[in-house]
Amino acid sequence: MQEFSFIGTETPRPDAADKAAGKALYIHDLSRPGMLYGKIKFSEYAHARIKSIDTSRAEKLPGVRAVVTGYNTPEVRIGFIRDNFALKKDKVRQFRDEVAAVAAIDPEIAEEAVDLIHVEYEELPGVFSPEEALQEGAPLVHEVDVRGRPKTDNRVPVPWKFVSGDVEKAKEKAAYWAESHFETPLIQQSCMGTAGCIAEFDLQNNLLIHTKTQIPFLAQNDFNRALAALGLKGKNSRVIVPTLGGSFGTGLDTHGYEYIAILLAYKTGRPVKIILTREEEFTALSPRQPSKSHIIQGCDGEGKLLFRDIRMVLDNGAYTSWGATTPSVMMLPISSLYRVPNVFFETAIVYTNNTYCQAMRGYGNPQAAWALESNLDELAEKAGMDPYEFRRKNANIPNDITPMGLHITTCGLKECLDTVADKLQWREKRGRESGKARGVGMASLFHVGGSGRVYRSDGSGIILKLDDFGNVSVISGGIEMGQGFGVALCLATAEALGVTPDKVTVITGDTATCPWDVGTHASRGAFTSCNAAILASEKARKKIFELASEHFMSRVKSKMKKQKRKNPDFEIPDLDYERICDPTEFDMRENMLFLKEEPKNAYLRVSLGDILRAAHYKEQGTMVVTEAFYDPCNQMIDAKTCHGNLSATYIFGTQGAEVEVDLDTGQVKVLNFVAAHDVGQVLSRHAIRGQIYGGVVQGIGYALAEEYKTHKGKNLNPNFLDYKIFSAPDIDFPIEIECVETHDIEGPFGAKGVGEPGLVPTAPAIANAVYDAIGVRIKSLPITPEKVLKALRERT
Amino acid sequence: MKKEIHFRLNGYEVAAEVESHKMLLNVLREQFHLTGTKEGCGQGECGACTVLVDGLNVDSCLYPAFEVEGKSVTTIEGLVGEGNVLHPIQKAFVEGGGIQCGFCTPGMIMSAKALLDETPDPDEAEIKRGISGNLCRCTGYVQIIESIEKAKEFVQAESADETD
Amino acid sequence: MKKFDYYQPDNLGQAFKLKEKSGENAKYIAGGTDLIIRIKQKAVQPDALISLRRIDSLKGFEENGNISIGSMTLFRDMERNELLKKACPALVEAVRVLANPQVRNVATPGGNISNAAPSADCAPPLLVMDATVTVAGPGGERDIPIEDFFLGPGKTRMDPTEIVTRIMIPKTPAGTGMAFLKMGRVTQDIALANVAVLLVMEGETCRKCRVAAGAVAPVPLRLHTVETLLEGRNIKKDLTEEAGRRASAEVQPITDVRSTEEYRRQVSGTLVKRAIEAAVKRVS
Repeated sequence: MQEFSFIGTETPRPDAADKAAGKALYIHDLSRPGMLYGKIKFSEYAHARIKSIDTSRAEKLPGVRAVVTGYNTPEVRIGFIRDNFALKKDKVRQFRDEVAAVAAIDPEIAEEAVDLIHVEYEELPGVFSPEEALQEGAPLVHEVDVRGRPKTDNRVPVPWKFVSGDVEKAKEKAAYWAESHFETPLIQQSCMGTAGCIAEFDLQNNLLIHTKTQIPFLAQNDFNRALAALGLKGKNSRVIVPTLGGSFGTGLDTHGYEYIAILLAYKTGRPVKIILTREEEFTALSPRQPSKSHIIQGCDGEGKLLFRDIRMVLDNGAYTSWGATTPSVMMLPISSLYRVPNVFFETAIVYTNNTYCQAMRGYGNPQAAWALESNLDELAEKAGMDPYEFRRKNANIPNDITPMGLHITTCGLKECLDTVADKLQWREKRGRESGKARGVGMASLFHVGGSGRVYRSDGSGIILKLDDFGNVSVISGGIEMGQGFGVALCLATAEALGVTPDKVTVITGDTATCPWDVGTHASRGAFTSCNAAILASEKARKKIFELASEHFMSRVKSKMKKQKRKNPDFEIPDLDYERICDPTEFDMRENMLFLKEEPKNAYLRVSLGDILRAAHYKEQGTMVVTEAFYDPCNQMIDAKTCHGNLSATYIFGTQGAEVEVDLDTGQVKVLNFVAAHDVGQVLSRHAIRGQIYGGVVQGIGYALAEEYKTHKGKNLNPNFLDYKIFSAPDIDFPIEIECVETHDIEGPFGAKGVGEPGLVPTAPAIANAVYDAIGVRIKSLPITPEKVLKALRERT
Repeated sequence: MKKEIHFRLNGYEVAAEVESHKMLLNVLREQFHLTGTKEGCGQGECGACTVLVDGLNVDSCLYPAFEVEGKSVTTIEGLVGEGNVLHPIQKAFVEGGGIQCGFCTPGMIMSAKALLDETPDPDEAEIKRGISGNLCRCTGYVQIIESIEKAKEFVQAESADETD
Repeated sequence: MKKFDYYQPDNLGQAFKLKEKSGENAKYIAGGTDLIIRIKQKAVQPDALISLRRIDSLKGFEENGNISIGSMTLFRDMERNELLKKACPALVEAVRVLANPQVRNVATPGGNISNAAPSADCAPPLLVMDATVTVAGPGGERDIPIEDFFLGPGKTRMDPTEIVTRIMIPKTPAGTGMAFLKMGRVTQDIALANVAVLLVMEGETCRKCRVAAGAVAPVPLRLHTVETLLEGRNIKKDLTEEAGRRASAEVQPITDVRSTEEYRRQVSGTLVKRAIEAAVKRVS
């Protein structure tokens, strides 16, 4: 087993001190010279024709510098199928539609000006569920498609279908099967730091935009398209990312407010800052995709899974964003969590006048896991088997290829299952104790762990720049959003290069200076960037050792002379100071170069800085800057069959809960929680614990308390008063974490991704525990006391 | 209406001309450029705007600026000691892994300070109660509580040093 | 946010004069943790706020048999006060779960009851202790029994020129036990239902019973059918079950974004039953 100096340690995050001191600068804290403040006017209806927009009073308000609408700006189309617009014309399709915006010299004037804009609407009937939207004669959310061709229904042309084997045949052979319907609601990412940006143009009409994003380079591409729409084709965007106050997927798309800031900046010639208020963060950003799933799973007489049939209906909302692509990730556990030979998965994605959705941590996996893992317990019960035994029997194994064509290499699922069963005292506690409404439940997860090729490039670039003092800048296109990307990269670079972490500065977040990276999503940040850093470090070491071959002994000699000058009694050792060493003779650890053959020789040690200065300060000197572009060995899935090895490696995990239900109030109290995750290798012990604890608590919130409520398209709880996320006293139970290290060969030092899995199996683990406690299964999230009491009453 | 208010800010006597409808949060961020205190919700639900007024942790987003007249205000920046040295509580959060995105951190640390100033040796339940008005979306609170436990020791060690 | 003037009078007389001068669209402000939010949400748009924070006569406790709590006493001081904990444990229990430390460091009982939210955590304990609210205005002082104080959501029996100055809680006799319970979606929450019970016991017999519930009617409500059930009776399990059923029948909850009518009805019964059981156990 490899021994590491820094990998796996509790080294604090390099960004933590500034954050603790209040020095870190988030988008809210930034200011640009001459900056104006932007504010957006949103629609007052879910579905309506825009008859007129009167901006005259707003324009006259002192301090207002620009008012924009869809009628006085060029059309800017957004979204990956380009069915959305920065500013709406002709009609509004959801409450969060942007109809106008203002730039003013201070935020209060901007707010006042927005209230002075008068929009006249003609309300139209709306559709607020996929079922309603699919009815004959339902009002159309989009009358034409993106090419201008008339649409005849509300279906979104992004169909997903996955087939493997023959599910119908397998149904006939199955000894047991379980069929159910499951639902998940809209969920808000609820970052503590709200979204925002500052857009400005330089004197050549290139765009500079500071913005809260996880995808600076894809954003650059999107903004360049917007520039083309403004008549600025060929001009460039520079995206700079400040410290992020969380992201959880909100930064995975470009948003209306960014394009509006760009339009206002273009119109005024000044920087324009737009920050979303907490209410706007709820109503104007895109939440987690809700789902309705109909699932049937079946097994043979021995409990071996035979088939899985799952059909989902997804409410797309009024425009298309990543919510419509969540099935591509759902497909992973659907086809490959446990070994199932026959799989059928189909989705219907439907436009409605509700809010549209995009990415949130897990990206469809939590929704799929809710159905899969709840239903698996139902099937285990039908087959008369303990759910833990059932899972173990069907568990994935290392070096296997799944029905989707995913190449599983390392796989710690069995260890995760066993860990949870052991720590929960499964055998003693499973099965309803008479008189006590207590139970245990578990659920597993399957997710990408080696990135996921959803774009043609899945690459991450790294530039390593060394300075005269042996300091290393590791420049990455990835993004730190609190998950620990920075500390992982710092430790990986230090370990791979042979320097100490305090010598490493991680630099991210500027498309002009950082190398390309497809984005920090799919739990890929550490996996790809650390791999790139390792490659760049190897190149740097090679170069350093080549320089050392020339300079090492002369530096040693110089050190001896210096010591003699300081201490005349010092005896200069008799070494061959003229020797030219071979580069392969060297090693470097903790900033010091030494000869491999004599690692303990106190004289034959030269600091990295010393070598670099010697190489730099001479005629025809040299510097050490290296780069690497790591693009994993994974594939895009086939557009038709959805088959392909999407990731370079996969992650597994199991979580389990012990709960107690108050039979008179329906409240579910968590007594104990265990999370066992196959992480490959722990990179930063601080960060990995934080990711899993944080994920678990979000997952329990998903299970028990969070719900973004709407009525006819209008959000009813756009604030923390009524959208409940947990506070510290809610975590009144122990959470135990176990990191199973399977040492993946693809991963940097064996590590796999860990950003998302923490909240994937949490909700079904809780639901399964509730079932064990009281014999009722709640099939729609969240598991509220209201639903529990109702289910208990209906049972008796 | 406008008025000049006088108060003590992070140890120094200061004055500022303030509009009557402004909250303390606005004054700190916009007039004193102390951006460490954050606006997370503007409605007193998240605690990201927590500062100390006369030693008590309050939500500055709901604290009328005029009310700070004659009082002593401490923000996160005020905890950093001479020579750019982190306060023991700040140090504990850094070493304890209690910081991820960091947006809740200033408010969280101010509440931890108010708690430890009143109760130098709180148990776990008291710690959770003390930070019940500070929401965090990243950490799940576990490492924050561990950091505050660590902060207890650091603070006690520092006072022991001072009395030596 | 709409701009407003902000005045800080030193005494009641000044406060009343300022209110008169500023007119109808001026509001008194205590801790501000309800009012400032309502202003930001544009639910109210006052031209001026008259702060009560400097008026010392409104602060502090007095004990002379009865307990008198100044309306501008901070919740944080109430939850730390040994005297109050002994004399009004249910009130202190309610204050301890009201919002969070930051709010309790500036908020006040006067503000809480003046805001008159049906879910006000202070209200059920004050109701079961038969508290009296003293209000004052330019015309003088008057006392309003707490049971008559609330008129509807956000509405009290006060005149717009009046403020709460004191809350008087009568001394409780020997044999008193009281309890407060609150139900929320998570720990930090507005109550879906909150309940207080006060019992005066003589051996196993209940001599006096007071039950109040909040968040389940337009105003915090005394549950008289439960009180008449218990008074004069021995408190046993069947009786507490019946008490719960009567409570469920007597409350008038609604369905809103927080919970359903059905659930609130059911859970208030459970809370009443449990509060009665707790109160019995705490009889001094």
